[in-house]
Amino acid sequence: MTRDLIKNGFFYTSILVSQLLIFNHFNLFETITPSVYLIIFILYKTSYNKTTLIFLGFITGLIIDLSMQTYGCHTFATITICFLRERIEKNSFGVNANLPSAMTRGTKIINRLTFFILIILIHSSIYYSLVFFNTEVLGRIFYYTLINSIVTFIIIWVLSKLISNK
Amino acid sequence: MQSIINSIVKNRNLIIYIILSLITFNSLYTNSSVHYSGIEKTATYLSGKSSIFSSYIYSYFDLRNKNQILIEENLQLKKIEYKNNYSSQNLENNLLESKPLNTANIILNSINKSKNIIVIDKGILGGINEEMGVITSLGVVGIIKSVTDNYASIISLLNTDLKINAILKNSSTIGSITWDGLNSKYLKLNDIPLSSSLKIGDTIVTGGMSFYFPKGVPIGSITNYDNSSLEGYYDIDVEVFNDFSSLSNVYILERTDNDEIKTLLDD
Repeated sequence: MTRDLIKNGFFYTSILVSQLLIFNHFNLFETITPSVYLIIFILYKTSYNKTTLIFLGFITGLIIDLSMQTYGCHTFATITICFLRERIEKNSFGVNANLPSAMTRGTKIINRLTFFILIILIHSSIYYSLVFFNTEVLGRIFYYTLINSIVTFIIIWVLSKLISNK
Repeated sequence: MQSIINSIVKNRNLIIYIILSLITFNSLYTNSSVHYSGIEKTATYLSGKSSIFSSYIYSYFDLRNKNQILIEENLQLKKIEYKNNYSSQNLENNLLESKPLNTANIILNSINKSKNIIVIDKGILGGINEEMGVITSLGVVGIIKSVTDNYASIISLLNTDLKINAILKNSSTIGSITWDGLNSKYLKLNDIPLSSSLKIGDTIVTGGMSFYFPKGVPIGSITNYDNSSLEGYYDIDVEVFNDFSSLSNVYILERTDNDEIKTLLDD
């Protein structure tokens, strides 16, 4: 239990630090800023407490908001996917949703893809809707959401494979 | 109490999510000018819409008061109208002086009998007495028949017993208005000699030669007439201006010098 806690704590800290130091400054083509920290909430084990997940999402979002000066956009998007995670899991994995490592192995790849994509898309659409906060730029919101979701998905998918292999 | 606590525990994640969302939006609202103006704009829009909605509801429930205020205003206007028009005519013709005195709401009305009666919600305590004339803004309604402390009954124009002095507005030919008990929209104008000229559409008004109404209160307009009578009088149908099936408020006229005239007649 303690070992798990230390392992998860290290994983959480390293992802958060890499998000703050590397990915937040990515800004590829002045458009792409991948939200790699979402891997924390994607790989979060279903056997853990859901309330803890929401608080974890709040603290993570708050730290990233403070570093990026986005005033709460990340926080709201993150707590929303933490709150909806259980439903997304059930929709994506069906009866296998209760498997402790359903997100990385033991489930069909199509289920995992659906789960990853849903989490990332919901997060990105909420985040960019809040960032622009204007119905007149719906096209731009859609464009940013799509591009950033694709890049975030690729990075998270590769990272999850690496973690799973280890 | 236990069930409330159970419900809170069961939905704790939703409650926590809502609280954290509110904290987040508060942060957005206070720190970001873009979100501040956006939220302000949305709040203004919503408050405007809700205000309109609530004012619709409020005005609907306030219709009774508004109606009462309008009736009072109409009463004041009627007083001015009567003061300007009828008083001068009365002085010229040495007729009786009359003015609107009071308003009342109709609480009982019928049009399907031969002797229709209307009941209003004011009586002696409201300043109503017997034999007062009753009108609306469109024209004559009837005459007060009997009064109690709080109510009064009116002999409607749609009562075969009522006969009101009337004249053709254009020619001042004197006749009398009665109802034949058939159609609530039509009255009969009697006693107009064949020598008089009239046409369809002519307006019929009160003649002023009665205790009840001053000269010139509208009654109706001629819709049909028959000049083939052997008795030397027209048979005239008059479409009444008032819709007796939908009356709601009436004005009651007071004639200040009825008693004096009656004394004179008794002598």
